[in-house]
Amino acid sequence: MVLTLYGNPKASCTQRVATVMHEKQVPFKLVTIELSKGEHKAPDYLEKQPFGQIPVLDDDGYLIYETRAISRYIAEKYADQGTPLIPKDLKAKGHFEQAASVEQANYDAYAGKAVVEKVFKPMFGQTPDDAVVERLLTSLEASLDVYEKILSKQKYVAGNEITLVDIFHLPLLSLLPLTGRDVYSTRPNVEKWAKGLIDRPSFQSVKDGVRSTA
Amino acid sequence: MVLTLYGNSYSPCAKRVAQVLVEKQVPFKVVIIDFKKGEQKAASFVEKQPFGQVPLLDDDGYFIYESRAIARYIAEKYPDQGTPLIPKDLRARGLFEQALSIELNDFDAYISPPVHEVIFKPFLGLTPDREAFDQMVIQLEAKLDVYEKILSKQKYLAGDELTLADLFHLPYGVLLGPAGSNALDTPKRPNLSRWFKELVARPSWQAVKDEFKSMD
Repeated sequence: MVLTLYGNPKASCTQRVATVMHEKQVPFKLVTIELSKGEHKAPDYLEKQPFGQIPVLDDDGYLIYETRAISRYIAEKYADQGTPLIPKDLKAKGHFEQAASVEQANYDAYAGKAVVEKVFKPMFGQTPDDAVVERLLTSLEASLDVYEKILSKQKYVAGNEITLVDIFHLPLLSLLPLTGRDVYSTRPNVEKWAKGLIDRPSFQSVKDGVRSTA
Repeated sequence: MVLTLYGNSYSPCAKRVAQVLVEKQVPFKVVIIDFKKGEQKAASFVEKQPFGQVPLLDDDGYFIYESRAIARYIAEKYPDQGTPLIPKDLRARGLFEQALSIELNDFDAYISPPVHEVIFKPFLGLTPDREAFDQMVIQLEAKLDVYEKILSKQKYLAGDELTLADLFHLPYGVLLGPAGSNALDTPKRPNLSRWFKELVARPSWQAVKDEFKSMD
């Protein structure tokens, strides 16, 4: 049975999972959950995802939610097709987990919130709090200074091979310029890495909206 | 060579790793990084942990940081000793990854701010804002209501077996009571209370909760 992804074509988290599906050449059907209609809080949706968030994956009756968990499950289940995305060696895997933890704690914690505040809030008619955006971007830039150091010594965040963790940084990498802050031009290694990821066919396939591939 | 763990007694994240080392029966030595002396910013430390944070593990010259990454590495390196903490089956592991992500996005993100507000701000010479604390706890409780639903159907967060995901809740969880909220220990959420109380009682947590020290 074809995998079913419940999500929204323009939502970052849905796009993140869809990027991984494309990298792993796994066909999927997208079922759109309309956030504006509150469909993510409907009782039958809450049965699948009790926190009322998107996306959720249905693999022939096996339900799994949380973007990074879904992505890891797909990368493990289809380890031998598409791009290898999780290292097998113990020590390489340790550094993969290190990078994964950094992505959430030192990148997404700032970048995600900054984009929501500055870019998404206005789309819903709300006014961004510029002081909050300023604080978040300052923290983000401190982290990106470390990324610049790390990426001066290796090609990707976990080592010299691409992994899931690099992909987890999308789509925010493409949305950061919309905050009005230029985080790239003073960080050439970060810029090169980010551009390489944005240019990947898997992300290009989803960046303007996720579509079913099955 | 005995593993070396860099951290200190006021770092919840350092205790997170220490607990897993005890749970997996792995001896370790500690090196104290004193924040009051700014030791986390020393060039020799930043060379190994470029974000200038603790903890950091040295496994015979292999350096790894981020407490949850270190914990996973330990659980993966020593799968056959101590308590099994990572499921082997693909689907069980998917639900384990789901539980780990829930801990980060639906627990840690909501418990760190109020704990920081009341417990850590004074260390930085700042005054806690109790109204802000109360607002943050309300948001946390909305997430804990969902935990209650999940834990009414299964024993632990990833299923009926204990995993790393459960243990990761302890270091910040135990600070919520002292901060002034009983959200993790209330008859309003009996399953959540049962689950958390049992985690706190584990010998591995009792062994590390008060002091960050070598256990070799």
